[in-house]
Amino acid sequence: MTEQRRLDPAAPWTEVVVTEADWDEADPDLLTSMFAHLVLIRTFEEYVLELAGQGLVHGPAHSSIGQEGGAVGSIHALTSADTVNGSHRGHHQFLAKVLRHVEPEGIDPRQPFSERVRDVLLRSLAEICGLDRGFSHGRGGSMHLKWTEAGAIGTNAIVGGGVPLAAGSAWAHRHAGTDDVAVTYFGDGAVNIGSTLETFNLAAAWRLPLCFFVENNHYAVSTNVEEATGEPRLSARGPGFGIASWRVDGMDPLAVHLAMEQALAHLRAGRGPALVEADVYRYFHQNGGYPGSAFRYRTKEEEAAWRARDPIAQVRGHLERRGILDAEEADATVARAKALLADIGGCLVEPDPDGKPGVRRIKPDEWPDPAFADVGIRSSLDELEGAELAEVDSYRGGVGEAKFVEAVSAVMCRRMETDDRIVVMGEDVHRLGGGTNGATKGLVEAFPGRVLGTPISENAFTGLGGGIALDGRFRPVVELMYADFMWVAADQIFNQIGKARHMYGGTTPVPLVLRSKVAMGTGYGSQHSMDPAGVFATSPGWRIVAPSTPFDYVGLMNAALRCEDPVVVLEHVDLYTTVGPAPLGDLDYCLPVGRAAVRRSGEDVTVLTYLAMTHYALEAAERVEGCDAEVIDLRWLDRASIDWDTIGESIRKTNRVIVAEQGPPGTSYGGWLADEIQRRFFDWLDAPVQRVTGREASPSISKVLEGAAIAGADEVLAALEAIGEA
Amino acid sequence: MASLFVLPEIAADTTEAVLTAWSVAPREPFVAGAPLAVVETAKAAVELTSETDGAVLALLVDPGADVTVGQPLALLGRPGEEVEDLDATLAALGARAAPSGAPATAPEPPAPADQPAASAAPAGRVFASPLARRLAHDAGLDIARIPGTGPRNRVRKRDVEAAKAARTAPATTAATGEPAEPWSAPAVRRDDEVPHSRMRRAIAERLVTSVRTAPHFYVRGTATVEDLLSVRRQLDEGGIAKVSVNDLVVKAVALAHVAVPEMNVVWTDDAVRRFSSVDVAVAVATDGGLLTPVVRDAAALPIAELARRTADLGDRARNGRLTPAELSGGTISVSNLGMYGVEEFSAIINPPHAAILAVGAAAAEPTVVDDRVVVAQRLHVTLSVDHRPVDGVVAARWMRAFLDLLEHPIRLVL
Repeated sequence: MTEQRRLDPAAPWTEVVVTEADWDEADPDLLTSMFAHLVLIRTFEEYVLELAGQGLVHGPAHSSIGQEGGAVGSIHALTSADTVNGSHRGHHQFLAKVLRHVEPEGIDPRQPFSERVRDVLLRSLAEICGLDRGFSHGRGGSMHLKWTEAGAIGTNAIVGGGVPLAAGSAWAHRHAGTDDVAVTYFGDGAVNIGSTLETFNLAAAWRLPLCFFVENNHYAVSTNVEEATGEPRLSARGPGFGIASWRVDGMDPLAVHLAMEQALAHLRAGRGPALVEADVYRYFHQNGGYPGSAFRYRTKEEEAAWRARDPIAQVRGHLERRGILDAEEADATVARAKALLADIGGCLVEPDPDGKPGVRRIKPDEWPDPAFADVGIRSSLDELEGAELAEVDSYRGGVGEAKFVEAVSAVMCRRMETDDRIVVMGEDVHRLGGGTNGATKGLVEAFPGRVLGTPISENAFTGLGGGIALDGRFRPVVELMYADFMWVAADQIFNQIGKARHMYGGTTPVPLVLRSKVAMGTGYGSQHSMDPAGVFATSPGWRIVAPSTPFDYVGLMNAALRCEDPVVVLEHVDLYTTVGPAPLGDLDYCLPVGRAAVRRSGEDVTVLTYLAMTHYALEAAERVEGCDAEVIDLRWLDRASIDWDTIGESIRKTNRVIVAEQGPPGTSYGGWLADEIQRRFFDWLDAPVQRVTGREASPSISKVLEGAAIAGADEVLAALEAIGEA
Repeated sequence: MASLFVLPEIAADTTEAVLTAWSVAPREPFVAGAPLAVVETAKAAVELTSETDGAVLALLVDPGADVTVGQPLALLGRPGEEVEDLDATLAALGARAAPSGAPATAPEPPAPADQPAASAAPAGRVFASPLARRLAHDAGLDIARIPGTGPRNRVRKRDVEAAKAARTAPATTAATGEPAEPWSAPAVRRDDEVPHSRMRRAIAERLVTSVRTAPHFYVRGTATVEDLLSVRRQLDEGGIAKVSVNDLVVKAVALAHVAVPEMNVVWTDDAVRRFSSVDVAVAVATDGGLLTPVVRDAAALPIAELARRTADLGDRARNGRLTPAELSGGTISVSNLGMYGVEEFSAIINPPHAAILAVGAAAAEPTVVDDRVVVAQRLHVTLSVDHRPVDGVVAARWMRAFLDLLEHPIRLVL
């Protein structure tokens, strides 16, 4: 017979329930302001649904009607410096945060709404309608509402996608020495997704001032929470991760406020993250103005029961009961809010001159200029103005030889010395003498607190890096131990980090450096051997650098760290142990952005290549007979930074092109390049653009199969020999 | 959807050919790149290949038929595709159903009134690299008239450059007028009359052009070749390489061209064109007549490689497998009758070359060394030179360099 010992989670799990006594004690100004917020948000949402019903909101309008209490109650406990982000259903969170920012003392419902209130509502409505005067010029719309100045750091259309980013914001608050917090709002749908759960763990491990605010509205579209999880009391998740957790009735804004105050005390005291589950209800379906019961996944009776506990009615009832606001005043508040929305709407829509009576259209001048579609995908690179630029032949500090991997750690060490903003994170970067390859050697000793070994959770820590970059106070350098792990972190890398700048209007810097190891040839097999350049090249927000020498690594890393765009720095394991030209003097120079290097001059064919393949291409060019190849090391691989001048000059001379890379043709880099070349240089081509790639399959563990799968000098040689017949 | 398979232009100004054999049968499916037919022009037998997968719906000419560039040879389509009314299908594709085997005598299809009937413009799709199109356009050349040497006979930069050079070379003007004498089927053949083959006719025309337009002069020389024969023997016996006397001569010609670059030229109407690499044509006797495949960059080739390539070109010349590209270019030919015991002879320049070297047999004969008569192996050569681009002194310097190379053969095998 075993002995049974009861175990309990270390973190507390508390339900906060308010009584009439709490309502009686509540500050009247808090209650009136919450009422004003609730009325404004409800009226705003009703107006959005009205426009949506007339086809004036392009895309979904995820209404928050019914569940405003969670956001209003919690955000009334925050300061402007605290940050919030949210989900696809984020109008109420965003509005509460920006209203709080412009009226930090609260909004008096008895007074006319201020111009500041009118202005933020107008800009919010314009954004939701996709119009130029919106916060992101209409690019983000309903699901990507961001106004950084107000601490509203962006709602998110990927379920759970914003959670790691909020962790980055929280990290920045703490690392900057403040007691500010980040709050990430998400629903019962997002609570089960990997990026959320990974972030629970990461935030708890690092004791980040991050509040996970779960708006449990019981339905992920039509799937109810009881069928989606074995523990529908979602705040039960928190203690499992060591997170202090609260559960509260979200239809009761005061209860939420009081629970949030407890959570904030915990957060601001540096005791780690908190989780608040607010039980709420959206009156309508996922989007649009019809109730969920119309779609038959719930009953009218259930909806009526929730509506009976409407947050606005509750606050209004207590205000009237306590004699703070009478019914007439409350009605007047609602009337003023409706008038305000009608006035705001009049700025954006007008009667359609070609339509039937009552049909409205967007005022033509309100639309963004179609020419704006691609503006601001990436930085103008003004931040590199004044950088010390050098190439091997112009560098004045003297060029000697060094091991590649030593240049990797040396330049990072130098930058961390000169720039306190830089922080390095990744799996095992803080141990093993500088990570698995020594690339971060010596950093943890020199810069305690700035070299962060992460749990194995690529989505969470990459997203956390993205959140730090978006915050702007620090410069994260995130290492992916193997390039293949980008798929694990794909949402954060491509949907979030890569798109953020453009999606939020084209001006938000995202200064993140992602160091990605390319481990082809190390025998790690199908899932650890990819070259990610081709995939990154499909994502316009990313810049890609591919250094093939220690000297170039230093200059490219410096440029990457200075650049305000996300930059992936590819590091090929074949190169780590090689010896090449390296700076003897300072490590402060940048390579010019978008400058390729002609490694070998030739007349007969242009070989475009990068990273370790550069060396194999050069070897092949020496071995081949009867073909004088020009080998160009591209160095900057992304669409915006690639060096068309050097490529074009070469093609006009040789009239033939081989794009050489090691990896398979499927996710290859050369595809887009060949496509671009044939259009740019059609009249100078004497043969189709040729490609050297690895085999179709990902490299295997078996050494001979791996060797067969990866292209190298022999494959380039064969292509050079065949080019005459192409 | 059925399409016409037409005779492409196989080489510059080659407007006619003989369809030697079909490689496919009607209704037979084939894959892209598969040979469809063999045609023989004046210069080469060429396999015509398909660009795509498909099947033969109908063959429009019989083997042995004369065909002209642009003439439909077959109707192609998808495997299994049926043609109900061949004539109607051909008419719809703009081709009349030609009587099999007699296309050359068929009346020309009436041309639209506003469009002159271009005499020999090929109707088939012309493959050309983008660069070649631009260069041809800039040079005022019709890309369709330039023979392509790339995959699928694609016209490439070097073809346009060759066409530019050939445009002004006298030899290319000779071939016109051929269509004026359509060759009708012979009624009666006498035993002592062999009708001209395409190749015979072409050889005749080229040589007439040569003697008519290129004023020849001749420079003769004799070399003592004891050492040359010894080197050749040592290469052979040492198992190093199978090298003929002629290979060593070709190598010496190439190196002499390097030493006297003024010889590495051709005459064009506007300029004397100098070449940067030395390409040497080697005369090969075949059953059909003389062919002169070109050894590219002969000066740079190691002797063993030169020998291997020359042997390969010779084999393929005799088997009719040379490509048009291998038959064009060069500035000089080497014609060697030494193996037949000929002591010496002179040859007619192969246009547009500037010279031809006629090589006799090496034989023991008396010669004077240090005022004494001795017996030595001696080789006699005659260089025929086009006086338009090359003067006598240049030819003399070349001959001295050439003989010196023959007598110091170590320089040929270095």
